Amino acid sequence: MEILLQNFDLVIFLVLAIFGYTAGSLAEKRHYRSIIKREKELLKMAVVTAEGSFPPERIQEVALVMGSVVISIDYFKRILAILRNIFGGRVKSYESLVDRARREAILRMKESAKEQGAKMIINMRLETATIGRSANKKKSVGSVEAIAYGTAIVMN
Amino acid sequence: MQFTPKQLNDNVNVSKTHPLIELFWLIGGLIVLVGLVFLILGVTTDWAVSKTPIKIENWIGHLALAEFPADENKALEQRLQSLLDSLPEDSPLHQYNFHVFLDESDIVNAIALPGGNIVVYAGLLNEVKSENELAMVLAHELGHFAHRDHLRGLGRGLGVAVAATLLFGEESAASSLVSKTLLTFQARYSQDQESAADQFGLDLLTRRYGHAGGATDFFSRLTEDAGSKLPYLLASHPHPKVRIDALNKLIKGRHYSIAKTQPLAPDLLP
Repeated sequence: MEILLQNFDLVIFLVLAIFGYTAGSLAEKRHYRSIIKREKELLKMAVVTAEGSFPPERIQEVALVMGSVVISIDYFKRILAILRNIFGGRVKSYESLVDRARREAILRMKESAKEQGAKMIINMRLETATIGRSANKKKSVGSVEAIAYGTAIVMN
Repeated sequence: MQFTPKQLNDNVNVSKTHPLIELFWLIGGLIVLVGLVFLILGVTTDWAVSKTPIKIENWIGHLALAEFPADENKALEQRLQSLLDSLPEDSPLHQYNFHVFLDESDIVNAIALPGGNIVVYAGLLNEVKSENELAMVLAHELGHFAHRDHLRGLGRGLGVAVAATLLFGEESAASSLVSKTLLTFQARYSQDQESAADQFGLDLLTRRYGHAGGATDFFSRLTEDAGSKLPYLLASHPHPKVRIDALNKLIKGRHYSIAKTQPLAPDLLP
């Protein structure tokens, strides 16, 4: 018991790491389930990065649509990333984070286009940004933002 | 061009490695890295210690002494001088200009600082009952100088702290964990040095008084009152019982005689 009290900062560190791992992987699993389910539902909506040109009489309406999402890293992913900073190599713990953020952003964009009755989105662009720049610095946990935007087309 | 919607089952953008397996590899690599740093530091320190001229050591000594506010003690220096006089002519210890300081705190310990400075704590002086015991303690510290342990400890301790801080930053829990684990190594390392210094002390004590009487008295008193002050000494030194046994074995092996000890002279009585 005394050893625990003497190394209190260490105990906090371990508790945070274990909590971060359980909560983080539960959240990730749930998120992926929801992403895959919604991607299936919205499969019919075409999203392309090409500009596309259509005869004017076929187009009823065009609109800018976008979807954005912010996802936070958890304490465990941060530890893995800090250790990676020593050795170099792929930061695998952040890969799923960015993947989730981009797919979620595209899904939200598609949902917004669907509400407007659009059948397809052209000229789609994706951008990623960090929120909380000091993500790897002391005691701060950063997040990633992904934003997807494009032109939704409502056909006649 | 035909647009065919298709859902991919595989995700190429995310690595398949389980995060716990990755953690395992990373921590394993870290442990190997820290071990290597410690090994290299040990080798370079040993090399640097044997090459350090006493002039540089004296300069380090001034820096170290600033951290120990203590007064020079003439009575103790006189005892040390008579020990030095009984050393052989060619002993490298004669190159040092020794000073003995008395610190007023209750700690039962004495430290060898670089540059020939010895700090004796008042707590130790209160425990000592005879001239021979005191000579044994001082001779033990001289043993540290003869083996240059005081420099060794400084070099490696410093190197470990610097390396850990560089890797993880000052306030991180990881660097305090690393230095804690490594400092237990440090204590182990210095236990061998303590035994070597004990051996040196015993030989010098016998040269000074012609017999090994009083060599173990101080440690046996420590074993008896295993009370409040003991844990401090145990941290870096071997257990007193172990030291007594080792000393007795040496006395027997070298056929040293044991005669009556001289009581402490009045100039050092509290």
